[in-house]
Amino acid sequence: MSRETDVVVVGGGPAGVEAALAAAAQGLRVTVLDEAPQAGGQVYRAPPHAFGGTIQRDADPIGVALRQRLAASSVVTCFEHAVWSVSPGFRVDALAPDGPASWTARAVVVATGAQERVVPFPGWTRPGVIGLAGTTIMLKSQGMLPGERTLVAGQGPLLLAVAVGILKAGGQVAGVVDLASPADWAREWRALASRPRLTARGAGWRARLLRAGVPFLYRHAVQAVEEVPGGLRVLLTRVDRHGAPTKKVAREYLVDALAVGNGLTASTDITRLLRAAHHYDALRGGWVPTLDAEFRSSLPGLYVAGDAAGLAGADAAVADGILTGLTVARDLGAMTDTAYRGAIGSLRRRARRARSFGTAMARLMAIRPAHVAAIPAETIVCRCEDVTRAEIDAARSEGAQTANQVKAWTRCGMGPCQGRICGDIVGALLAAGEAPREPVGYFTGRTPLRPLPLNLLAGDVEYTSLKLPPPAPL
Amino acid sequence: MGLRGAGIERGRPLRFFFDGTPIDAFAGESVASALLAAGVRSLRASPRAGAPRATFCWMGICQECTVVADGVRRPACRTEVRDGMIVLTGTVP
Amino acid sequence: MTPGLAQETVDVDVAVVGAGAMGATVALHLARGGMRTALVDRGEICREASGVNAGTLTLHMTRAALIPYAMKGRELWLTTERWLGMDVVARSAPGLSLAFTPAERDMLEKRAEARTAMGAPIRILTPAEACRIEPGLNASLLAAAFCELDGHVTAYLTGRAYRQALRAAGVAIIERMAVEQIDRLGQGYRVRGARQVVRARRVVLAGGVWLETMLAWLGLRVPVKCLINQLVVTERMRPVMRSVVGIASGLLSLKQFENGTVLIGGGWQGLGDPVRGGVQAVPENLIGNIQLARHAIPALGETRVVRIWLGLESETADAMPMIGALPGLDEAYVIGCVHSGYTSAPYMGRLLADRILGREPEMPLFDPTRLVQAAPNAVEEMT
Repeated sequence: MSRETDVVVVGGGPAGVEAALAAAAQGLRVTVLDEAPQAGGQVYRAPPHAFGGTIQRDADPIGVALRQRLAASSVVTCFEHAVWSVSPGFRVDALAPDGPASWTARAVVVATGAQERVVPFPGWTRPGVIGLAGTTIMLKSQGMLPGERTLVAGQGPLLLAVAVGILKAGGQVAGVVDLASPADWAREWRALASRPRLTARGAGWRARLLRAGVPFLYRHAVQAVEEVPGGLRVLLTRVDRHGAPTKKVAREYLVDALAVGNGLTASTDITRLLRAAHHYDALRGGWVPTLDAEFRSSLPGLYVAGDAAGLAGADAAVADGILTGLTVARDLGAMTDTAYRGAIGSLRRRARRARSFGTAMARLMAIRPAHVAAIPAETIVCRCEDVTRAEIDAARSEGAQTANQVKAWTRCGMGPCQGRICGDIVGALLAAGEAPREPVGYFTGRTPLRPLPLNLLAGDVEYTSLKLPPPAPL
Repeated sequence: MGLRGAGIERGRPLRFFFDGTPIDAFAGESVASALLAAGVRSLRASPRAGAPRATFCWMGICQECTVVADGVRRPACRTEVRDGMIVLTGTVP
Repeated sequence: MTPGLAQETVDVDVAVVGAGAMGATVALHLARGGMRTALVDRGEICREASGVNAGTLTLHMTRAALIPYAMKGRELWLTTERWLGMDVVARSAPGLSLAFTPAERDMLEKRAEARTAMGAPIRILTPAEACRIEPGLNASLLAAAFCELDGHVTAYLTGRAYRQALRAAGVAIIERMAVEQIDRLGQGYRVRGARQVVRARRVVLAGGVWLETMLAWLGLRVPVKCLINQLVVTERMRPVMRSVVGIASGLLSLKQFENGTVLIGGGWQGLGDPVRGGVQAVPENLIGNIQLARHAIPALGETRVVRIWLGLESETADAMPMIGALPGLDEAYVIGCVHSGYTSAPYMGRLLADRILGREPEMPLFDPTRLVQAAPNAVEEMT
């Protein structure tokens, strides 16, 4: 039996929680579903209840307040619920620790955030190589170091956050390797100046790393990682201003972990699944749902808030989340148009300010076509199915034109992650360079949104009580 | 404490098993964290190349850290350790 | 026609509209038979039903009257390296259809008898015999029907294999162009799309569930029913089965590929229609389908479902195919709506190509005239 509610919010990060609180404040029945044990999303990921000491004290106060406000509200929360299907109408299916559960709702807010993107290089599948965003999660929510000595590489603001997090937790940082140049960072000065608190924090982090003697290598990238006795040998190469690496090894590091990431992509699983309109925006995290100014997707009743609508960062997610919650309330008749107009004016301004900083950070994280173009042929692109760039190129030269065709011809994107890790890279390889992504398309959204353990989904059921359709004709 | 971050008060100690080997851990840790702290580098072998793999995205998306925990295949990074838990490699023979 | 785009005109002997396995096979044999051939599709080759079906080669689920065709088609799939130039990882495997209740056992026996009468080598086994062939079975079964001539194909490779064969045969492949209209043009036809116009002496319609629309272009009214079949695939798992497994009612098809993934089908319905395609899987139908699958092969409970998708299957009013010349038209043909059509496509396509090339087909075609309801508006003569 499905539980009935007005609004289901998928994702308990800042965008989802703010949307839920805003809609519930207007009298709507709201349920928030999230895979994690507590609200906060990736940015404000909470440490486990069982942990104490510094990890609880150091938890970001914004996240703590978010969880407290949610707990004090009328919003129904279901944690450790992995949403695996959203059907038009709407029906939302999730897998809870004790089996399947479903809801029917008049509106759905997608607040599923963002996910890691790594431009592949030989050796990126080795144990010890982990995502940059993944490293922030280890540090924040588990108090774990990726290694005794870690090299931090890639692009965007996570580089600093991860490097400092490692120092604070007592680890060694071998170096910070940035694809961007100091000039690339300086270009974003206007946006940086608009958020003095965050900019000062970044400057403080940089100073702390320099004091600790951590070298910064700008305009460098990882060329390859090799397994050697005692750890990983990371080969670095210089890159030009387009992100294209040179062949020559510029530097080698011996470490036991490499934290690496080339920005984030919007998590668009649900909007793709529901065939909502999308467009490609390299500066906002790749394929993003096409929304109106009030966060409605092309499908009536389906809304998107936060990074799932295109990267804008946690601050923008708060303002956008509230706006989305209010739009839902207005559309469902829980709020008059006048009240809505009155409420959104100042929020809009706040959202715009926050977004200018977030999108500046997203620009620093944007994929560089020349970087992707230089991926060596034998490099694994699809980790799940061990599909190499050479296999993708072969399909392309045989006439495969779209991402879905390459999937069928090579199994790239057919494994358990369902192309979530390789999708953007495959698209970039097929589009080749600066060509538009639209003709290449993206992997069609499919259920389940997470792999479903078959026994948990099927439950315990007698054969004679199965509900079977009529038999096929002879 | 090895890879366990400094100054963190963890949950009560507990013990689980990975491919038959006892592993000491603390309440609140994920299977992925506990195995990393115990020095287990590889959680499974990849299907075609048979190459070692371990936790990569730490948010339940990439499925690289899939193990069998008490009979259910799931990402180790999304599985909290429990006392006596039987964890097996996620390698498919 | 999109304004501003110059339309290129292609002149050929035959235009095939619809690049599924049926249309692609016809095009391939016509080109090899010496005709200048164009193959047009709104998408890419074999990306609809022919690329997303369960890839089951089974006589247990084939309509009795089509058994002789399916047996020929199966042979062709198992030898694609010879005639397509690429292995589509087609494998022969024993096929078992199971019965768990007395009612299912009756159905199983009746259906096996009808199919045997049409030449399918099917016989009924005891549970112990069935478990010897397939040790992974749920031993609580009451009976099983066994057929040695089953197997499976990796359907998603179909498009890749056909594409290279068609290219080598010199077929003009026009992908990603929706046909907007077909007009009669003197002695022949004009097939119009946004980018190109194909002028052809002959036309073959091979559009699966879109055949109703296509036939209407030629003034023929033939209702075509559209089934939205849900398919389910698991992640790779240890070997748990080596046969193709179904149940008497036809509501289950199961097979494990060499890569360890298990494909679960059986015609459980999702949401969609010919206009929008497959729109959405229905969660309740997924759950029912996997409950049935796990009942048949209990070890499936160990694995995880990684993907569910939808395939559109076409069916005529009498559930029998339409393959042959269209009534009242000169050199216009149709092929489609074949139950278990993927299995028999390589053979059906060859039969129609033989007919168009003026050779006597090895087996009878399926005259579409019986299905034409009326001819409300005759095709206007274009000059």
